[in-house]
Amino acid sequence: MVKKFSAPLERTARLLDLVPYISSHQGISLAELAKVFNVDQGQMTSDLTTLWMCGLPGYTPLELMDLNFESGFVTIHNAETLSKPRSITFDEGVALVLGLDLLRSAISPERGDLLERIDLLSQRLAGLINLPSALSATSVVNQDVSGAITAALKSRMGLEISYHSLYRDELSTRSIFPIEIVKTDSHLYLSSYCHTASDFRQFRIDRIQTATVQAVQQEIPKSPIQQSSHTCTVKVLTPTREVAERFKQSELHVNTEFNCQTYSTQWIERSIMASGRAVCLQSPPDIRKSIAVMAQTMLDRYKAR
Amino acid sequence: MARVDRTERLLNVVFCLRGAARPVSRAQIRASVAGYEPEASDAAFERMFERDKDDLRSLGIEIEVGSFDPLFNDEAGYKIKQEKYQFELGDISSTEVSLLSLAAEAWQEASFGDVAQRALVKLRSIGIPSDELSIPASVHKLNDGGQDLSLITKAIAHNQLLAFNYLDSHLGIKMRSVVPIALSTRNGFWYLSGVDQEIQEIRTFRVDRISGAIAASAGPKDFQTPVGFDPSTAFSESSTHDFALIDVRVGKASSLRALAISTQSLGEWDQVKIPILNLDSLCSLVLWHGPDAFVQEPAELRDLVVEHLEALVKNHG
Repeated sequence: MVKKFSAPLERTARLLDLVPYISSHQGISLAELAKVFNVDQGQMTSDLTTLWMCGLPGYTPLELMDLNFESGFVTIHNAETLSKPRSITFDEGVALVLGLDLLRSAISPERGDLLERIDLLSQRLAGLINLPSALSATSVVNQDVSGAITAALKSRMGLEISYHSLYRDELSTRSIFPIEIVKTDSHLYLSSYCHTASDFRQFRIDRIQTATVQAVQQEIPKSPIQQSSHTCTVKVLTPTREVAERFKQSELHVNTEFNCQTYSTQWIERSIMASGRAVCLQSPPDIRKSIAVMAQTMLDRYKAR
Repeated sequence: MARVDRTERLLNVVFCLRGAARPVSRAQIRASVAGYEPEASDAAFERMFERDKDDLRSLGIEIEVGSFDPLFNDEAGYKIKQEKYQFELGDISSTEVSLLSLAAEAWQEASFGDVAQRALVKLRSIGIPSDELSIPASVHKLNDGGQDLSLITKAIAHNQLLAFNYLDSHLGIKMRSVVPIALSTRNGFWYLSGVDQEIQEIRTFRVDRISGAIAASAGPKDFQTPVGFDPSTAFSESSTHDFALIDVRVGKASSLRALAISTQSLGEWDQVKIPILNLDSLCSLVLWHGPDAFVQEPAELRDLVVEHLEALVKNHG
């Protein structure tokens, strides 16, 4: 578990971190401050009130901390001993070191200056939290592709991409208008309007092999075209981890039957083929039949040798 | 006096010790920090103060016994050391602040998302504006490794022993005891490498295949972290000497081609040479490609493919 502190401790940490943040952002609005610290404005006002109370002289040997927020804008003075950000925790250090490592893999080797800074920062952080250099993260996205996607999204331009469709096992060139980056099942997708297919499509970013920014071609229709989906019933013959992961099923036993929904008949055909003797497709009958035919054709070829 | 809650008392202790020029004695703390009831017994105060020290330590704030005052050497003084309280990253440039911000943003919606956000607030509090860097960070994201990543990294730092149930390829569950030495990502998954205590060899586990909770305990006293271990080699082909020869149709089977160490053109087909790391998963990949892939060698893989094809015909005919 990423450790969660109890509410009073969580609040203590937040109040201590408020002082340096306000010190370096004098005059910040209450609303914005609440957003930065991920609390509502009522909570932020209560936090500031507590901070103000604790800063009063007499309670502590600390000088009067001068905190003002009545106007809706926050300033702080005379808080020198607390105005520097607090040291990072182990988890925070780990998050930054891994994030930097990912960044390193995403930066072009030509930017030696940035790569060097990343290495130095990473060493300094690891030193602060006593972390051995045993963590590594790599990006699955090609640098040129990520550059083009970012540029297109920023300037509202189109993209020409070459895309490898896993289900069709085809490399196709498409003209798309990217809308946003979305994350599903731990993969990043580029949600787009595809001019080639004249429909909305999601492209898995790590399967985009090349991308070039281009001018937008035409108007995008408002609503997506309805695609027909297939419901398949799959019966488990041998429960394996591969089947569980491929069909995203958690409870598998011999003779378990489950349904899955797909827009691609190719996906279901290939998934059943790849699972071999471990599963049997019960329905729909036409896909059942095409699997039997395909397997027989392949078998004939092996037997002919 | 209004009742002082725990947050206020903890803040008051920090303010008191950070604001004081010299170590503060227990008696002074008790007298001046609002929240320690003056009428409470000595024992009650001791308990409260010890608990507050523990609480603050869990937030990363270390209250230390300072030097004794030669004039009052009968009582210890307390202080919070500046170098331990403050984020001491040394001189830091706008570019470095930007790099760290991008590093934190890579965790959006993933395991360390909240933690990274908190680190980001601290970074911004340094007060150095960030540069506009031309790094397309939004396209590079870290995947969610669940809640275990924090536990695993702590265990790596402290050579702890991790015990967990791991799903094998037949959905069997086996208890593993591992001293972790590395954490890495590959193809969007998190992998933990460590010395498996049963066989005393390095093994690599996919974090999402760990079933249930991971238990951490003190590691073996004589544990030596293997030197020169590179997590990326755990996936490399160099560890095998067995190869498969597979014919793949021109323009097809990119996933098989991606694994090839050499490709030979045969006209309508290409022949690829692929290192065999796991016979079952290679067989599955061949079957996925249907009539676009045909195994030439070894016989062991051909037989396995044929066996599955026979079952597929029988089950779907």
